[in-house]
Amino acid sequence: MTTEYRVPREKELETIDVNVNVGPQHPATHGVFRMVLTVDGEQVVDLDPVIGYLHRGAEKLSENCDYRQAIGYQDRTEYLGQFNAELCYVLAVEKLAGIEPPERAEYIRVILTELNRVASHHMFMGAFGSDVGLFGTSFMYSFRDREMILDLFEEVTGERMMYAYFRPGGVGWDVPEDFRERCREVLAVVRRGIDDIDGLMTENEVIMARCRGLSPVTPEEAINWGVTGPMLRATGLKHDLRRAEPYSIYDRFEFEIPTGTQGDVYDRYLVRLEEMRQSVRIAEQALEQMPDGPIMAEGLKRTLRLPEGEVYMRNETPRGEYGIYLISRGADKPYRLKIRSPAFSNLSALKAMCVGTYVADTIINLGSFDIVLCEVDR
Amino acid sequence: MLGVFRAIKTTVSAALRKPVTVQYPKAKKELPHRSRGLPVLLWDFEVDEPFCTGCQVCARYCPVDCMTVTMQDNRKFAEGKSERKKIVHRFYIDYARCMRCDICVEVCNFDAIVMNNTWEGVELSRYDRQGLVMNLDDLLQQSQSGELNDPFREPMGIAHSGWAPKVRSQEEKAEVAAKEEGGQG
Amino acid sequence: MIADNPWVDGLARMGIITAAVPLAVIVLTYVERKVLGRLQMRLGPMRVGPYGTLQSVADTVKLLTKEDLRPQTADRWTFELAPFVVVVPVFMALVTLPFTADLFVRNLGLGLFYIVAVSGVSIVGFVMAGWGSDNKYALLGGVRAAAQLISYEIPLVMAVLAVAMIGQSLNLVELVEGQGRVPFVVWQPLAFLIFLVAGLAELYRQPFDIPVAESEVVGGPLVEYSGIRWSMFQMAEVANMVLISVLASLLFLGGWNWPLGNGAGAGLQVPLIVVKASMFILLFMWLRGTLPRLRIDQMMAFCWQVLLPFAFLQIIINGWVLVYGWPDWVLGALSGMAALAAGYLTYRMARQAMEPVSSRLHRVGSVL
Repeated sequence: MTTEYRVPREKELETIDVNVNVGPQHPATHGVFRMVLTVDGEQVVDLDPVIGYLHRGAEKLSENCDYRQAIGYQDRTEYLGQFNAELCYVLAVEKLAGIEPPERAEYIRVILTELNRVASHHMFMGAFGSDVGLFGTSFMYSFRDREMILDLFEEVTGERMMYAYFRPGGVGWDVPEDFRERCREVLAVVRRGIDDIDGLMTENEVIMARCRGLSPVTPEEAINWGVTGPMLRATGLKHDLRRAEPYSIYDRFEFEIPTGTQGDVYDRYLVRLEEMRQSVRIAEQALEQMPDGPIMAEGLKRTLRLPEGEVYMRNETPRGEYGIYLISRGADKPYRLKIRSPAFSNLSALKAMCVGTYVADTIINLGSFDIVLCEVDR
Repeated sequence: MLGVFRAIKTTVSAALRKPVTVQYPKAKKELPHRSRGLPVLLWDFEVDEPFCTGCQVCARYCPVDCMTVTMQDNRKFAEGKSERKKIVHRFYIDYARCMRCDICVEVCNFDAIVMNNTWEGVELSRYDRQGLVMNLDDLLQQSQSGELNDPFREPMGIAHSGWAPKVRSQEEKAEVAAKEEGGQG
Repeated sequence: MIADNPWVDGLARMGIITAAVPLAVIVLTYVERKVLGRLQMRLGPMRVGPYGTLQSVADTVKLLTKEDLRPQTADRWTFELAPFVVVVPVFMALVTLPFTADLFVRNLGLGLFYIVAVSGVSIVGFVMAGWGSDNKYALLGGVRAAAQLISYEIPLVMAVLAVAMIGQSLNLVELVEGQGRVPFVVWQPLAFLIFLVAGLAELYRQPFDIPVAESEVVGGPLVEYSGIRWSMFQMAEVANMVLISVLASLLFLGGWNWPLGNGAGAGLQVPLIVVKASMFILLFMWLRGTLPRLRIDQMMAFCWQVLLPFAFLQIIINGWVLVYGWPDWVLGALSGMAALAAGYLTYRMARQAMEPVSSRLHRVGSVL
């Protein structure tokens, strides 16, 4: 498929294209990400993304850690959907070692993972609103609900952001006794918070005028570019790994997969908004069905040694398809831990989406990708 | 234009709600029981010495190598006051490196190290990065002063899988002691 | 005439304005932060002083004691004179604002004309700041500022002109005194709305804050300024807000005159006008917290395709009513209908901006 990136323009006045560096330090790039824009007036003619500012060698560091120590690094790689990243890693290790976690552990994992998805999408709502121009209002609303979720996580695991709670074989320790009541409280607050954000942003004509029709993407283009996650679902394709390749116990829950129609920025926002509601639904069902019992598989050794082999495990994080490719040579440390990062693959489509739009639109477009720089750079 | 009115209605209803701000540091939110601060060592009040014997398991399992531990012979064991043959000599934790992953707490055989679940465990401002390297006295201070009165001591991780450190009962200890004496004599 | 001496009189009046405006700015920045905090379910400044009341004072002291930076490759005089060019016209315009029939610094016979003319000079300051900073973001912001501020000046002037036509004077005190029974907003709702929207755009606040968009051009033409120069820009913005609010309450809501009448005494009239101006200020702050910003081409399309034709329409209606001697309610009815038509056109423009387009680039087309 040939794509013509250059927008033809009539030359009545002799003009030059200006290089604008949306540099690593910028309030709108969601982290240390650099774009070198070539701008003709207000219109973007070329875009060159530069990444690598946050490369910390997480994959190499994981090769020096055994399987329990590496969990902390997974948190820090995907720092907004931490439980999702931990879940992927832990499921990969369990798949290779043939460990079956007990039921209660699986349910705890699902509840916490879905709440983490809600928290991550809240962060997106806040950042998206501030990109579009709402002076901090959307940030405050979404972070208030995110605080409730993080408070719940602090009561369960002890940490607000970098949990290191899941273990291969189950979870680290049991949830506190008032977990069910607290969880229900938090879900009620979260539901009202989602309605607040809905009222503030969804039907706001200014947001619709800014975002509707901005870089629509067809499903074929999205698949060709390797785009996954809410961006793919916004194009109209009903592809969610929790349905397509159910991992853990996701096949026991009823939830819908929201899709958009054109794949533009507004659809991506709507898809994420609806995904929050579906996550709350899953968490409620899991809370109902959660049994009592052990939280760790029986008979594990103190230091886990995996048999030789390799495994690729993927799951659906708030950004898309997160994959862990694990090669083990029989030692207690992985030989190679490769992370397939959804934000990195999505970001490769930035140029095709932004060329031809305005500078202001490029910022909103980048915001709608919902990137996490640590994942992009690892 | 109606969407704009809906947005205005949302902000109006939000403005009429009570703000949720806690004015730190005048008012501090209550930390939950499991709150993970930075690791501190526990003091054994019965015997008047730290629980830590300096066995270095935590230092070995730390993912970021933030601990340095050495052990020494315990004078109190020779005097008969304590059952620990060895006791910690020096213990340094670099708080700037620690990533609070809880693995040191999980692997400790003597339950000597816990995460500090008080506000002092998280309020750590210093003017110099070197000030974040804690030595043994700093690490024992919280427990000795009694501020750390309710640490999170539930069994962790691998303990749930049925693994537990081997602890000999009194009869087994007497048997082992008798065999050693018989072997020597 | 103070002390019966023109020199003392002039200096004293200058002193009043120089003291009063920064004081108003200090109070209003605090109020804005508290109001925005309330909208966002948080408390706003609370630490400095009781309930944070000394926050603006602390900010002022901080800004005044900062190092005066200048980029080495910046065009020196353009860069350094830009804040003055932005701030001084606002002060000059505030000099002629009357608060009661007797309470003003200097009332001019050509008051309205003077205010409008002098406010236009600030635009030059923004372009100077944008060019002189030697920064591509500043250039982008400066160009946007020029486009926006010049474009929205026209409907603003037209709305003010419409009021002057009906009030038959350019003297602010006379205009207010002519609104004794009925404020002008009843007869000219369209001019009122155009004044408010164009005023919001002149203040470069949400939803029209493209020139100083924080998340895109990081402050636009103001990006390289710090310290006193930055505080001068902020002072210009807040003082401009005061200017627009007081003008709106004088021209459209009857100022100190309605409903109390001319002889009510300064003790009641000054609070009345303060309350009316505060309503507008609160509205501007509210919109700042609620609305995101428009894109530059959408904003320009809105100005040239909706505001400007309707401003002309309002003047034409005024002309008919004055020439043919129609009664006042005809003016009110026609203006009201035109205002509804303007609202409908805005709605149509908003809907049309949402249409998906096949090509990757989409512009706002014509609404009419």
